[in-house]
Amino acid sequence: MKTKQPGRRIIVFSCNWHAYNSLETAGKQGISYPSSVVPIRLSCLGRITPGMILKAFEQGAVGVFLMGCPPGDCHYVTGNQLVEQVFLETRSLLNLLGYRENQLQLDFLNAGDGAAFVENLQKIINAVEEPLENR
Amino acid sequence: MNPFKELIQSNRAWYCLDCGKCSSVCPISLYQVAEYTSPRLFIETALVCGEASTFDNSLLWSCLTCGRCTEICPSEVGFLDFIQEARQIARGKDLSGDCTHSGMIETWGRMMTDPKLQQNRLDWVGGDLELSADGDTIYFPGCLPYYQAAFGDLGIDGIGIATAAVKILNALGIQPQVLADERCCGHDQFWQGDLETFQRLAKLNLDLIRSTGAKRLITTCPECAYTLKNIYPEQVGDLGMEVLHLTELLAGTELAVQKADLPGPGAARATYQDPCRLGRFSGIYQEPRDLIEASGFQLVEMEHTGRASICCGTSCWSTCGQVNKKIQTERLKEARLTGAEILITACIKCQIHFKCAQHDSNLAEENQIVIRDITSIIAEQL
Repeated sequence: MKTKQPGRRIIVFSCNWHAYNSLETAGKQGISYPSSVVPIRLSCLGRITPGMILKAFEQGAVGVFLMGCPPGDCHYVTGNQLVEQVFLETRSLLNLLGYRENQLQLDFLNAGDGAAFVENLQKIINAVEEPLENR
Repeated sequence: MNPFKELIQSNRAWYCLDCGKCSSVCPISLYQVAEYTSPRLFIETALVCGEASTFDNSLLWSCLTCGRCTEICPSEVGFLDFIQEARQIARGKDLSGDCTHSGMIETWGRMMTDPKLQQNRLDWVGGDLELSADGDTIYFPGCLPYYQAAFGDLGIDGIGIATAAVKILNALGIQPQVLADERCCGHDQFWQGDLETFQRLAKLNLDLIRSTGAKRLITTCPECAYTLKNIYPEQVGDLGMEVLHLTELLAGTELAVQKADLPGPGAARATYQDPCRLGRFSGIYQEPRDLIEASGFQLVEMEHTGRASICCGTSCWSTCGQVNKKIQTERLKEARLTGAEILITACIKCQIHFKCAQHDSNLAEENQIVIRDITSIIAEQL
C-alpha cells in the first residue's frame, strides 16, 4: 500500500525527549499531519550532522525540520547547543546547492505540545509548497 | 584478465625490489604504530597473499596518495596508480574508507552530478572585482565556497582566496569568467576510487568549460589544476585549453620579480608547505617560492621540503584519526622550528587540515603558527 507521496517528502529529525513527546501528543490528541512527513527519531538532536541532512536532500526530501529540546533542558545537557552550529553550516551549504533557506528549519519544543509540533510542520510545508515566482 | 592481476601487471608490482625506501618515507608507516603497514608490505601482500588480504590491509584507505613512495622508488613501481585502481576494484565490492565529516563532502559531490542543479555559488562575486562573460580566461575557484561554509569555523581563508585571485588577475589586466554551474572537479572521488561519480562530474565540467570558448583556465587549487589538466584527458576528454595553477601564471609576471629592497631588514620569515598535487604531482616548486620572496618575506625552508615535503596529513577525505593528526602536528612543529612566523601554502586542503589540528585543545602551543594561502599573500602586495 502506497501511503506517501513520492518526491515531496519532508523529513523531521526529532530528539527522543521533548520533541518526540510532542509528536506523540499530537497523535494522542488526534491532530493529523500530512503523510508526506517522515519523522526520524534520534537519541538527541546533537547527533545530527550536516552529512545526514544533505543525504536527506540527496535522496529527494524537499524539506528537513530539526526539532529538539528547549534551551537549558537538553536531556544530554549540550545537544541542543551543538545543533545550532550544524544548522547554520548546513543552511549555508544548501544555499550553495540552490535550495532556499526555509527548506531547512530548526525549532525547540516543549514536551506535550502537540499543537506546536503540527504548526511547525505546516510552516515547512507552506514554505516548500510556495510557488516558484514568490520565492 | 582478472582485474586484480591486471592491477599488479600494469603498475609494475612485480618489479618491487623489497628495498624498503618507500617504507622509510611513508608518513603513514612512520606514525601508524598500532599495526605495521607500508607501501612495500602492501605490494608484497598483493603479490603473495592475493586480493582478499590486500583489501584487508588498512593502507588501502589510509594511504594519503602523497606520492612520496612513488617518487623515491628506484624500480618505478606505480604505487599511486596501484592504490587508486585497487580502491576502484574494492568499491565494486562495497568496500570504502572512513566516511569522514559524516560523508558530507561525498554527498554534496554526488548532488552536483544532477545536470539540473542550479547552484548559488557566486555570492562572493561583487564589489570592485572585474569579471567578464566571454573573456579568454576562466577562473575556477573549485569547492572554495563550499569549504568556506563547512569549515569557516576553523578560520580558513576560503572565499578570501577566490576574491584575492580575481584581484590579482584584474591587476594583470585579465577579467576572468567565473562559471555559476561549475561542479566539483572530482579529484576526491577519483582518488577514493568512485569513478562513476568522478566521470559524471567531469563530463558536466568538460561540456561547460568547452562551451565558454575560453583559451585558458586558472585555478587556485592544486587538486583542480592537476585533475583538469591530467586526469580529465585520460578519463573524459581534453578541455582544449591551457590549465594553470595561479602560481604558474604569475611566475612570468612582475609579481614574481623580487624588488631590490625586499625582503628588507627585519622582514617577516615565512616557510612554505608544498602541496602534494602542486609539488610532486605537477613539479611546481620554485614558482611559489619566488612569489613569496617577491611579496617581501624572508623564506626559510622546513627540514622536509620540495620533493621530500610531507603531506598535510589527510587526502580525499578517506581517513582521519590519530595517525593523521600526528602527521599534522609533527609538520606544524617542523614549520615552527624554522623560526618562521607564518606558514604559507597553496592549497585550501592543507589549510583546512592544519587549522583543524591547531584547534585540538589537547595539542600543545608548539603547533601554533599563522597559516595563510599564497594567493591572499600576493593580493595584499598589490
